[in-house]
Amino acid sequence: MIGDTPWTRRLLTAAGFFGLAFLTVPLLIVIPMSFSSARALTFPPPGLSLRWYEAFFGDSRWMEAMATSASVAAISSVAALVLGGLAVYGLRRGNFIGRGPAEGNFMAPLIVPTIITAIALYLGLAKAGLLGSFLGLLVAHTILNVPLVIMVLGVAIREFDHRIEQVAWSLGASWPYTMRKVVLPNLAPSVFAAWIFAFIGSFDEVIVTSFIAGKYETVPKKMFNELILEVNPTITAVATLLIAFTVLALAAVAFILGRAGKLKQTLV
Amino acid sequence: MRGQGFGFVAPLLVLMFVAFNAPIAYMLGLAFWEKGRGFTLQHYEGLLEAPVYLRVLGNTMRVALVATLANVVIGYPLALWMRGLSNRGRMIALSLVVLPFWVSILVRTYAWIVVLGNGGLVNRTLQWSGLTDAPVSFLYNELGVTIGMANVLLPFLVLPLFAAMIRIDDRLLQAAASLGAPPRTIFWKVFFPLTLPALAAGTLLVFILCLGFYVTPAILGGGRVPMISNLLDTLINQIPRWEQAAAISTILLIVTLLIFAAYRRLDRKAAA
Repeated sequence: MIGDTPWTRRLLTAAGFFGLAFLTVPLLIVIPMSFSSARALTFPPPGLSLRWYEAFFGDSRWMEAMATSASVAAISSVAALVLGGLAVYGLRRGNFIGRGPAEGNFMAPLIVPTIITAIALYLGLAKAGLLGSFLGLLVAHTILNVPLVIMVLGVAIREFDHRIEQVAWSLGASWPYTMRKVVLPNLAPSVFAAWIFAFIGSFDEVIVTSFIAGKYETVPKKMFNELILEVNPTITAVATLLIAFTVLALAAVAFILGRAGKLKQTLV
Repeated sequence: MRGQGFGFVAPLLVLMFVAFNAPIAYMLGLAFWEKGRGFTLQHYEGLLEAPVYLRVLGNTMRVALVATLANVVIGYPLALWMRGLSNRGRMIALSLVVLPFWVSILVRTYAWIVVLGNGGLVNRTLQWSGLTDAPVSFLYNELGVTIGMANVLLPFLVLPLFAAMIRIDDRLLQAAASLGAPPRTIFWKVFFPLTLPALAAGTLLVFILCLGFYVTPAILGGGRVPMISNLLDTLINQIPRWEQAAAISTILLIVTLLIFAAYRRLDRKAAA
Protein backbone atom coordinates (compact mmCIF):
# COMPACT_ATOMS: atom_id res chain seq x y z
CA MET A 1 0.00 0.00 0.00
CA ILE A 2 2.01 2.96 1.17
CA GLY A 3 5.37 3.07 -0.51
CA ASP A 4 4.36 0.45 -3.02
CA THR A 5 6.21 2.08 -5.86
CA PRO A 6 10.00 2.23 -5.39
CA TRP A 7 9.82 5.99 -5.75
CA THR A 8 7.39 6.63 -2.89
CA ARG A 9 9.17 4.04 -0.79
CA ARG A 10 12.46 5.89 -1.16
CA LEU A 11 10.82 9.21 -0.43
CA LEU A 12 9.23 7.85 2.73
CA THR A 13 12.49 6.32 3.92
CA ALA A 14 14.24 9.63 3.34
CA ALA A 15 11.53 11.46 5.28
CA GLY A 16 11.77 8.94 8.13
CA PHE A 17 15.52 9.25 8.36
CA PHE A 18 15.24 13.02 8.25
CA GLY A 19 12.75 12.97 11.15
CA LEU A 20 14.98 10.73 13.27
CA ALA A 21 18.03 12.83 12.40
CA PHE A 22 16.17 16.03 13.29
CA LEU A 23 15.47 14.55 16.74
CA THR A 24 18.82 12.97 17.49
CA VAL A 25 21.63 14.68 15.55
CA PRO A 26 21.68 17.87 17.65
CA LEU A 27 22.12 15.77 20.79
CA LEU A 28 24.81 13.65 19.14
CA ILE A 29 26.72 16.78 18.08
CA VAL A 30 26.79 18.09 21.66
CA ILE A 31 28.81 15.09 22.84
CA PRO A 32 31.98 15.55 20.70
CA MET A 33 31.74 19.33 21.15
CA SER A 34 32.03 18.91 24.91
CA PHE A 35 35.53 17.48 24.38
CA SER A 36 36.58 20.45 22.24
CA SER A 37 39.75 22.31 23.13
CA ALA A 38 38.39 25.58 21.74
CA ARG A 39 36.32 28.24 23.41
CA ALA A 40 34.24 28.93 20.28
CA LEU A 41 31.62 26.37 19.29
CA THR A 42 33.24 25.42 15.98
CA PHE A 43 32.33 22.13 14.34
CA PRO A 44 34.26 19.92 14.01
CA PRO A 45 36.22 20.70 17.18
CA PRO A 46 39.77 21.84 16.35
CA GLY A 47 41.28 19.64 19.09
CA LEU A 48 40.31 17.42 21.98
CA SER A 49 40.56 18.18 25.69
CA LEU A 50 38.80 17.69 28.99
CA ARG A 51 38.99 21.34 29.96
CA TRP A 52 35.21 21.94 30.06
CA TYR A 53 34.75 18.94 32.34
CA GLU A 54 37.54 20.27 34.55
CA ALA A 55 35.82 23.67 34.53
CA PHE A 56 32.56 22.02 35.59
CA PHE A 57 33.88 19.72 38.30
CA GLY A 58 36.33 22.37 39.55
CA ASP A 59 33.64 25.00 40.03
CA SER A 60 32.20 24.93 43.54
CA ARG A 61 29.02 26.73 42.38
CA TRP A 62 28.28 23.99 39.86
CA MET A 63 29.00 21.35 42.49
CA GLU A 64 26.67 23.07 44.95
CA ALA A 65 23.96 23.25 42.27
CA MET A 66 24.51 19.55 41.63
CA ALA A 67 24.04 18.75 45.33
CA THR A 68 20.87 20.86 45.52
CA SER A 69 19.43 19.24 42.37
CA ALA A 70 20.22 15.77 43.65
CA SER A 71 18.69 16.31 47.07
CA VAL A 72 15.56 18.03 45.74
CA ALA A 73 15.11 15.25 43.17
CA ALA A 74 15.74 12.49 45.72
CA ILE A 75 13.25 13.83 48.29
CA SER A 76 10.54 15.08 45.93
CA SER A 77 10.58 11.97 43.73
CA VAL A 78 10.04 9.74 46.75
CA ALA A 79 7.28 12.04 48.02
CA ALA A 80 5.61 12.01 44.59
CA LEU A 81 5.97 8.23 44.41
CA VAL A 82 4.47 7.58 47.85
CA LEU A 83 1.63 10.12 47.64
CA GLY A 84 0.92 9.48 43.96
CA GLY A 85 1.18 5.71 44.37
CA LEU A 86 -1.24 5.62 47.29
CA ALA A 87 -3.62 7.96 45.50
CA VAL A 88 -3.70 6.03 42.23
CA TYR A 89 -4.20 2.79 44.16
CA GLY A 90 -7.22 4.38 45.84
CA LEU A 91 -8.45 5.68 42.46
CA ARG A 92 -8.20 2.28 40.74
CA ARG A 93 -9.40 0.09 43.60
CA GLY A 94 -11.76 2.40 45.47
CA ASN A 95 -15.38 3.15 44.72
CA PHE A 96 -15.85 6.56 46.33
CA ILE A 97 -17.61 9.34 44.45
CA GLY A 98 -15.44 11.92 42.66
CA ARG A 99 -12.63 9.66 41.47
CA GLY A 100 -12.72 11.24 38.01
CA PRO A 101 -12.38 14.84 39.21
CA ALA A 102 -9.73 13.82 41.75
CA GLU A 103 -7.65 12.16 39.04
CA GLY A 104 -8.14 15.22 36.81
CA ASN A 105 -6.87 17.37 39.65
CA PHE A 106 -3.77 15.21 40.11
CA MET A 107 -3.01 15.32 36.38
CA ALA A 108 -3.57 19.09 36.16
CA PRO A 109 0.09 20.11 36.62
CA LEU A 110 0.84 18.28 33.38
CA ILE A 111 -1.88 20.08 31.44
CA VAL A 112 -1.70 23.59 32.87
CA PRO A 113 1.20 25.37 31.12
CA THR A 114 4.19 25.17 33.43
CA ILE A 115 4.69 28.92 33.25
CA ILE A 116 1.24 29.38 34.82
CA THR A 117 1.99 26.89 37.58
CA ALA A 118 5.22 28.79 38.15
CA ILE A 119 3.42 32.13 38.45
CA ALA A 120 0.66 30.75 40.66
CA LEU A 121 3.22 29.14 42.96
CA TYR A 122 5.30 32.31 42.98
CA LEU A 123 2.30 34.39 44.03
CA GLY A 124 1.05 31.77 46.49
CA LEU A 125 4.43 31.16 48.11
CA ALA A 126 5.07 34.90 48.32
CA LYS A 127 1.75 35.30 50.11
CA ALA A 128 2.61 32.44 52.48
CA GLY A 129 6.13 33.80 53.08
CA LEU A 130 7.72 30.65 51.67
CA LEU A 131 9.17 32.10 48.47
CA GLY A 132 12.76 30.96 48.09
CA SER A 133 12.40 28.28 50.80
CA PHE A 134 13.62 24.71 50.44
CA LEU A 135 10.22 23.44 51.55
CA GLY A 136 8.49 25.41 48.79
CA LEU A 137 10.86 23.93 46.25
CA LEU A 138 10.25 20.38 47.48
CA VAL A 139 6.47 20.74 47.45
CA ALA A 140 6.48 22.28 43.96
CA HIS A 141 8.65 19.49 42.56
CA THR A 142 6.45 16.89 44.24
CA ILE A 143 3.19 18.08 42.70
CA LEU A 144 4.82 18.56 39.29
CA ASN A 145 5.90 14.92 39.19
CA VAL A 146 2.77 13.33 40.62
CA PRO A 147 1.18 13.05 37.12
CA LEU A 148 4.08 10.89 35.88
CA VAL A 149 3.64 8.53 38.82
CA ILE A 150 -0.13 8.39 38.31
CA MET A 151 0.29 7.58 34.61
CA VAL A 152 2.85 4.80 35.03
CA LEU A 153 1.32 3.18 38.12
CA GLY A 154 -2.26 3.73 36.91
CA VAL A 155 -1.67 1.33 34.02
CA ALA A 156 0.22 -1.16 36.19
CA ILE A 157 -2.46 -1.32 38.90
CA ARG A 158 -5.26 -1.68 36.35
CA GLU A 159 -3.45 -4.64 34.78
CA PHE A 160 -2.79 -6.30 38.14
CA ASP A 161 -5.55 -8.81 38.92
CA HIS A 162 -7.63 -7.50 41.82
CA ARG A 163 -8.55 -11.03 42.87
CA ILE A 164 -5.01 -11.69 44.05
CA GLU A 165 -5.41 -8.97 46.69
CA GLN A 166 -8.86 -10.32 47.59
CA VAL A 167 -7.34 -13.72 48.21
CA ALA A 168 -4.81 -12.16 50.57
CA TRP A 169 -7.56 -10.33 52.45
CA SER A 170 -9.77 -13.39 52.63
CA LEU A 171 -6.85 -15.25 54.18
CA GLY A 172 -6.80 -12.61 56.90
CA ALA A 173 -4.01 -10.31 55.75
CA SER A 174 -4.36 -6.67 56.78
CA TRP A 175 -4.11 -4.05 54.01
CA PRO A 176 -0.62 -2.82 54.95
CA TYR A 177 0.52 -6.44 54.90
CA THR A 178 -1.20 -7.06 51.56
CA MET A 179 0.41 -3.91 50.20
CA ARG A 180 3.87 -4.96 51.33
CA LYS A 181 3.74 -8.65 50.51
CA VAL A 182 1.40 -8.84 47.52
CA VAL A 183 0.88 -5.55 45.70
CA LEU A 184 4.34 -3.98 45.90
CA PRO A 185 6.38 -7.03 44.88
CA ASN A 186 4.15 -7.50 41.85
CA LEU A 187 4.28 -3.85 40.87
CA ALA A 188 7.96 -3.39 41.69
CA PRO A 189 9.15 -2.88 38.08
CA SER A 190 6.53 -0.19 37.46
CA VAL A 191 7.19 1.44 40.83
CA PHE A 192 10.87 1.63 39.90
CA ALA A 193 10.02 3.13 36.49
CA ALA A 194 7.70 5.68 38.09
CA TRP A 195 10.39 6.67 40.58
CA ILE A 196 13.02 7.11 37.85
CA PHE A 197 10.64 9.22 35.77
CA ALA A 198 9.81 11.39 38.77
CA PHE A 199 13.52 11.72 39.58
CA ILE A 200 14.40 12.79 36.01
CA GLY A 201 11.39 15.13 35.99
CA SER A 202 12.58 16.86 39.13
CA PHE A 203 16.25 16.85 38.21
CA ASP A 204 15.48 18.55 34.87
CA GLU A 205 12.82 20.97 36.10
CA VAL A 206 13.74 24.53 35.20
CA ILE A 207 10.74 26.87 34.88
CA VAL A 208 9.08 26.62 38.29
CA THR A 209 12.49 26.37 39.95
CA SER A 210 13.67 29.57 38.27
CA PHE A 211 10.63 31.40 39.62
CA ILE A 212 10.45 30.15 43.20
CA ALA A 213 13.88 28.88 44.22
CA GLY A 214 15.27 32.23 45.37
CA LYS A 215 18.88 31.76 46.40
CA TYR A 216 18.86 28.01 45.73
CA GLU A 217 20.64 27.08 42.50
CA THR A 218 19.87 23.82 40.76
CA VAL A 219 21.79 22.55 37.73
CA PRO A 220 19.03 23.43 35.22
CA LYS A 221 18.42 26.83 36.81
CA LYS A 222 22.11 27.73 36.67
CA MET A 223 22.37 26.39 33.13
CA PHE A 224 19.35 28.43 32.04
CA ASN A 225 20.67 31.65 33.60
CA GLU A 226 24.06 31.19 31.99
CA LEU A 227 22.56 30.45 28.58
CA ILE A 228 20.55 33.67 28.68
CA LEU A 229 23.64 35.74 29.45
CA GLU A 230 26.24 34.15 27.19
CA VAL A 231 27.17 30.79 25.77
CA ASN A 232 29.87 29.19 27.88
CA PRO A 233 31.36 25.89 26.63
CA THR A 234 31.16 24.47 30.18
CA ILE A 235 27.45 24.10 29.40
CA THR A 236 28.38 21.62 26.66
CA ALA A 237 30.01 19.39 29.26
CA VAL A 238 26.97 19.73 31.57
CA ALA A 239 24.66 18.93 28.64
CA THR A 240 26.66 15.81 27.78
CA LEU A 241 26.55 14.64 31.40
CA LEU A 242 22.78 15.19 31.47
CA ILE A 243 22.37 13.21 28.23
CA ALA A 244 24.45 10.37 29.70
CA PHE A 245 22.38 10.48 32.89
CA THR A 246 19.11 10.27 30.92
CA VAL A 247 20.37 7.42 28.73
CA LEU A 248 21.50 5.42 31.77
CA ALA A 249 18.27 6.06 33.69
CA LEU A 250 16.11 5.05 30.72
CA ALA A 251 18.27 2.01 30.05
CA ALA A 252 17.71 0.95 33.66
CA VAL A 253 13.94 1.40 33.24
CA ALA A 254 13.94 -0.48 29.92
CA PHE A 255 15.97 -3.30 31.48
CA ILE A 256 13.73 -3.70 34.54
CA LEU A 257 10.47 -3.39 32.60
CA GLY A 258 11.78 -5.59 29.79
CA ARG A 259 12.64 -8.33 32.26
CA ALA A 260 9.12 -8.12 33.65
CA GLY A 261 7.67 -8.09 30.12
CA LYS A 262 6.04 -4.71 30.67
CA LEU A 263 8.11 -2.54 28.38
CA LYS A 264 5.59 -2.18 25.60
CA GLN A 265 2.61 -1.05 27.66
CA THR A 266 4.68 1.72 29.29
CA LEU A 267 6.28 2.94 26.08
CA VAL A 268 3.27 3.53 23.88
CA MET B 1 -19.78 -0.65 50.34
CA ARG B 2 -19.52 2.85 48.92
CA GLY B 3 -16.76 5.29 49.76
CA GLN B 4 -13.95 2.75 49.97
CA GLY B 5 -10.42 3.80 49.18
CA PHE B 6 -10.77 7.50 49.86
CA GLY B 7 -8.16 7.29 52.59
CA PHE B 8 -5.51 6.48 49.98
CA VAL B 9 -6.33 9.57 47.97
CA ALA B 10 -6.80 12.01 50.84
CA PRO B 11 -3.12 12.92 51.55
CA LEU B 12 -2.40 13.85 47.95
CA LEU B 13 -5.71 15.63 47.66
CA VAL B 14 -4.83 17.82 50.66
CA LEU B 15 -1.41 18.61 49.21
CA MET B 16 -2.88 19.46 45.81
CA PHE B 17 -5.48 21.77 47.35
CA VAL B 18 -2.94 23.61 49.45
CA ALA B 19 -0.03 23.72 47.02
CA PHE B 20 -1.68 23.83 43.60
CA ASN B 21 -5.39 24.64 43.61
CA ALA B 22 -5.16 27.41 46.20
CA PRO B 23 -2.30 29.23 44.41
CA ILE B 24 -4.16 28.98 41.08
CA ALA B 25 -7.31 30.33 42.73
CA TYR B 26 -5.30 33.13 44.33
CA MET B 27 -3.87 34.02 40.92
CA LEU B 28 -7.37 34.11 39.38
CA GLY B 29 -8.44 36.32 42.25
CA LEU B 30 -5.63 38.78 41.63
CA ALA B 31 -6.64 39.01 37.98
CA PHE B 32 -10.18 40.12 38.79
CA TRP B 33 -9.83 41.90 42.12
CA GLU B 34 -8.81 45.37 43.14
CA LYS B 35 -8.10 46.23 46.76
CA GLY B 36 -11.01 48.12 48.21
CA ARG B 37 -13.03 48.02 45.00
CA GLY B 38 -13.87 44.35 44.62
CA PHE B 39 -14.48 42.80 41.22
CA THR B 40 -12.86 44.64 38.34
CA LEU B 41 -11.88 44.16 34.71
CA GLN B 42 -9.39 47.00 34.70
CA HIS B 43 -6.36 44.68 34.45
CA TYR B 44 -7.76 43.46 31.15
CA GLU B 45 -8.44 46.98 29.89
CA GLY B 46 -4.75 47.70 30.50
CA LEU B 47 -3.87 44.79 28.22
CA LEU B 48 -5.81 46.14 25.28
CA GLU B 49 -4.27 49.57 25.53
CA ALA B 50 -0.59 48.59 25.30
CA PRO B 51 0.47 47.57 21.77
CA VAL B 52 3.33 45.47 23.20
CA TYR B 53 0.85 42.84 24.39
CA LEU B 54 -0.68 42.47 20.95
CA ARG B 55 2.77 42.15 19.41
CA VAL B 56 3.69 39.38 21.86
CA LEU B 57 0.39 37.64 21.17
CA GLY B 58 1.13 37.85 17.44
CA ASN B 59 4.62 36.39 17.94
CA THR B 60 3.24 33.56 20.04
CA MET B 61 0.51 32.65 17.58
CA ARG B 62 2.81 32.80 14.56
CA VAL B 63 5.58 30.72 16.12
CA ALA B 64 3.07 28.23 17.58
CA LEU B 65 1.31 27.76 14.24
CA VAL B 66 4.49 27.34 12.20
CA ALA B 67 6.11 25.01 14.78
CA THR B 68 2.92 22.89 14.90
CA LEU B 69 2.77 22.74 11.11
CA ALA B 70 6.45 21.73 10.94
CA ASN B 71 5.66 19.02 13.47
CA VAL B 72 2.94 17.59 11.24
CA VAL B 73 5.10 17.77 8.11
CA ILE B 74 8.02 16.01 9.80
CA GLY B 75 6.10 13.81 12.24
CA TYR B 76 3.49 12.19 9.99
CA PRO B 77 5.95 10.72 7.46
CA LEU B 78 8.21 9.65 10.34
CA ALA B 79 5.40 7.75 12.08
CA LEU B 80 4.28 6.27 8.76
CA TRP B 81 7.80 5.12 7.94
CA MET B 82 8.16 3.57 11.42
CA ARG B 83 4.92 1.63 10.91
CA GLY B 84 6.41 -0.06 7.87
CA LEU B 85 9.56 -1.22 9.68
CA SER B 86 10.24 -4.69 11.06
CA ASN B 87 9.63 -5.23 14.78
CA ARG B 88 13.28 -4.71 15.53
CA GLY B 89 13.47 -1.59 13.39
CA ARG B 90 10.38 -0.22 15.11
CA MET B 91 11.93 -0.70 18.56
CA ILE B 92 15.12 1.10 17.51
CA ALA B 93 13.25 3.98 15.87
CA LEU B 94 10.88 4.20 18.84
CA SER B 95 13.75 4.45 21.32
CA LEU B 96 15.33 7.18 19.20
CA VAL B 97 12.07 9.13 19.49
CA VAL B 98 11.50 8.41 23.19
CA LEU B 99 15.05 9.16 24.30
CA PRO B 100 15.13 12.86 23.26
CA PHE B 101 11.68 13.17 24.84
CA TRP B 102 13.28 12.48 28.25
CA VAL B 103 16.41 14.57 27.76
CA SER B 104 16.16 17.95 29.49
CA ILE B 105 14.55 20.67 27.36
CA LEU B 106 17.51 22.87 28.23
CA VAL B 107 19.93 20.39 26.73
CA ARG B 108 17.85 19.97 23.59
CA THR B 109 17.53 23.73 23.19
CA TYR B 110 21.21 24.26 23.83
CA ALA B 111 22.04 21.61 21.23
CA TRP B 112 20.53 23.91 18.60
CA ILE B 113 22.90 26.71 19.62
CA VAL B 114 25.73 24.27 18.96
CA VAL B 115 24.28 23.06 15.64
CA LEU B 116 22.90 26.33 14.24
CA GLY B 117 25.61 28.77 15.44
CA ASN B 118 27.89 30.58 13.02
CA GLY B 119 30.60 27.91 13.34
CA GLY B 120 28.12 25.06 13.81
CA LEU B 121 27.40 22.01 11.71
CA VAL B 122 24.66 23.56 9.57
CA ASN B 123 26.53 26.73 8.66
CA ARG B 124 29.75 24.82 8.03
CA THR B 125 27.90 22.50 5.66
CA LEU B 126 26.16 25.36 3.88
CA GLN B 127 29.43 27.23 3.35
CA TRP B 128 31.35 24.14 2.37
CA SER B 129 28.74 23.23 -0.23
CA GLY B 130 28.97 26.78 -1.59
CA LEU B 131 25.29 27.57 -1.00
CA THR B 132 26.21 30.65 1.03
CA ASP B 133 29.35 32.69 1.55
CA ALA B 134 28.55 34.22 4.93
CA PRO B 135 27.05 32.25 7.80
CA VAL B 136 23.24 32.34 7.93
CA SER B 137 21.87 33.59 11.24
CA PHE B 138 19.54 30.99 12.60
CA LEU B 139 19.88 32.00 16.22
CA TYR B 140 18.29 34.81 18.19
CA ASN B 141 15.45 35.23 15.72
CA GLU B 142 12.06 33.70 15.05
CA LEU B 143 13.46 31.00 12.77
CA GLY B 144 15.68 29.58 15.53
CA VAL B 145 12.85 29.65 18.08
CA THR B 146 10.54 27.85 15.66
CA ILE B 147 13.10 25.16 14.80
CA GLY B 148 13.90 24.60 18.48
CA MET B 149 10.26 24.33 19.51
CA ALA B 150 9.36 22.02 16.63
CA ASN B 151 12.24 19.78 17.71
CA VAL B 152 11.35 19.72 21.39
CA LEU B 153 7.69 18.94 20.72
CA LEU B 154 8.03 16.40 17.90
CA PRO B 155 7.81 13.28 20.14
CA PHE B 156 4.45 14.51 21.49
CA LEU B 157 3.04 14.18 17.98
CA VAL B 158 4.94 11.14 16.74
CA LEU B 159 4.29 8.81 19.70
CA PRO B 160 0.45 8.94 19.70
CA LEU B 161 0.36 9.03 15.91
CA PHE B 162 2.54 5.93 15.66
CA ALA B 163 0.39 4.19 18.28
CA ALA B 164 -2.72 4.94 16.21
CA MET B 165 -1.07 3.80 12.97
CA ILE B 166 0.00 0.40 14.27
CA ARG B 167 -3.56 -0.23 15.42
CA ILE B 168 -4.78 -0.06 11.81
CA ASP B 169 -5.37 -3.56 10.52
CA ASP B 170 -3.32 -4.36 7.40
CA ARG B 171 -6.16 -6.52 6.10
CA LEU B 172 -8.24 -3.39 5.69
CA LEU B 173 -5.66 -2.02 3.28
CA GLN B 174 -5.34 -5.37 1.52
CA ALA B 175 -9.11 -5.48 1.09
CA ALA B 176 -9.05 -2.07 -0.56
CA ALA B 177 -6.20 -3.21 -2.81
CA SER B 178 -8.00 -6.41 -3.78
CA LEU B 179 -10.99 -4.31 -4.81
CA GLY B 180 -8.71 -2.55 -7.24
CA ALA B 181 -7.92 0.70 -5.43
CA PRO B 182 -4.56 2.19 -6.43
CA PRO B 183 -2.08 2.90 -3.58
CA ARG B 184 -2.83 6.61 -3.64
CA THR B 185 -6.55 6.02 -3.19
CA ILE B 186 -5.93 3.47 -0.41
CA PHE B 187 -3.81 6.00 1.44
CA TRP B 188 -6.14 8.96 1.13
CA LYS B 189 -9.49 7.14 1.36
CA VAL B 190 -8.69 4.40 3.90
CA PHE B 191 -5.46 4.92 5.81
CA PHE B 192 -5.34 8.68 6.27
CA PRO B 193 -8.94 9.06 7.53
CA LEU B 194 -8.23 6.38 10.16
CA THR B 195 -5.24 8.33 11.47
CA LEU B 196 -7.02 11.69 11.37
CA PRO B 197 -8.36 11.71 14.97
CA ALA B 198 -4.89 10.92 16.36
CA LEU B 199 -3.30 13.49 14.06
CA ALA B 200 -5.79 16.16 15.11
CA ALA B 201 -5.35 15.29 18.80
CA GLY B 202 -1.56 15.37 18.53
CA THR B 203 -1.65 18.65 16.64
CA LEU B 204 -3.80 20.27 19.32
CA LEU B 205 -1.53 18.95 22.06
CA VAL B 206 1.56 20.37 20.36
CA PHE B 207 -0.21 23.69 19.81
CA ILE B 208 -1.19 23.96 23.49
CA LEU B 209 2.38 23.23 24.55
CA CYS B 210 3.66 25.86 22.09
CA LEU B 211 1.42 28.55 23.57
CA GLY B 212 2.94 28.22 27.04
CA PHE B 213 6.53 27.57 25.95
CA TYR B 214 9.11 29.43 27.97
CA VAL B 215 12.61 27.95 27.90
CA THR B 216 13.23 27.63 24.15
CA PRO B 217 12.08 31.14 23.14
CA ALA B 218 14.04 32.62 26.04
CA ILE B 219 17.27 30.93 24.94
CA LEU B 220 17.03 30.71 21.15
CA GLY B 221 15.19 34.03 20.81
CA GLY B 222 17.82 35.91 22.79
CA GLY B 223 15.10 38.30 24.05
CA ARG B 224 14.21 39.32 20.49
CA VAL B 225 11.26 37.00 20.06
CA PRO B 226 9.23 37.48 23.25
CA MET B 227 6.36 35.03 23.59
CA ILE B 228 3.54 35.12 26.16
CA SER B 229 5.48 33.21 28.78
CA ASN B 230 8.55 35.46 28.46
CA LEU B 231 6.30 38.49 28.88
CA LEU B 232 4.90 36.87 32.02
CA ASP B 233 8.43 36.37 33.31
CA THR B 234 9.11 40.10 32.79
CA LEU B 235 5.90 41.08 34.57
CA ILE B 236 6.75 38.91 37.59
CA ASN B 237 10.51 39.09 37.93
CA GLN B 238 11.57 42.39 36.38
CA ILE B 239 8.86 45.02 36.52
CA PRO B 240 6.63 43.58 39.21
CA ARG B 241 3.07 43.98 37.93
CA TRP B 242 1.51 40.91 39.42
CA GLU B 243 -2.11 41.78 38.57
CA GLN B 244 -1.24 42.19 34.91
CA ALA B 245 0.65 38.89 34.94
CA ALA B 246 -2.29 37.22 36.67
CA ALA B 247 -4.69 38.62 34.06
CA ILE B 248 -2.61 37.31 31.13
CA SER B 249 -2.11 33.95 32.86
CA THR B 250 -5.87 33.61 33.30
CA ILE B 251 -6.47 34.11 29.58
CA LEU B 252 -3.73 31.63 28.70
CA LEU B 253 -5.12 29.13 31.20
CA ILE B 254 -8.66 29.36 29.82
CA VAL B 255 -7.51 29.07 26.20
CA THR B 256 -5.33 26.06 27.13
CA LEU B 257 -8.16 24.31 28.96
CA LEU B 258 -10.59 24.88 26.07
CA ILE B 259 -8.15 23.44 23.53
CA PHE B 260 -7.39 20.61 25.95
CA ALA B 261 -11.09 19.73 26.19
CA ALA B 262 -11.18 19.48 22.39
CA TYR B 263 -8.01 17.37 22.51
CA ARG B 264 -9.59 14.96 25.00
CA ARG B 265 -12.62 14.42 22.78
CA LEU B 266 -10.42 13.71 19.77
CA ASP B 267 -8.07 11.53 21.77
CA ARG B 268 -10.96 9.34 22.97
CA LYS B 269 -12.13 9.04 19.38
CA ALA B 270 -8.61 8.11 18.30
CA ALA B 271 -8.36 5.41 20.99
CA ALA B 272 -11.79 3.95 20.19
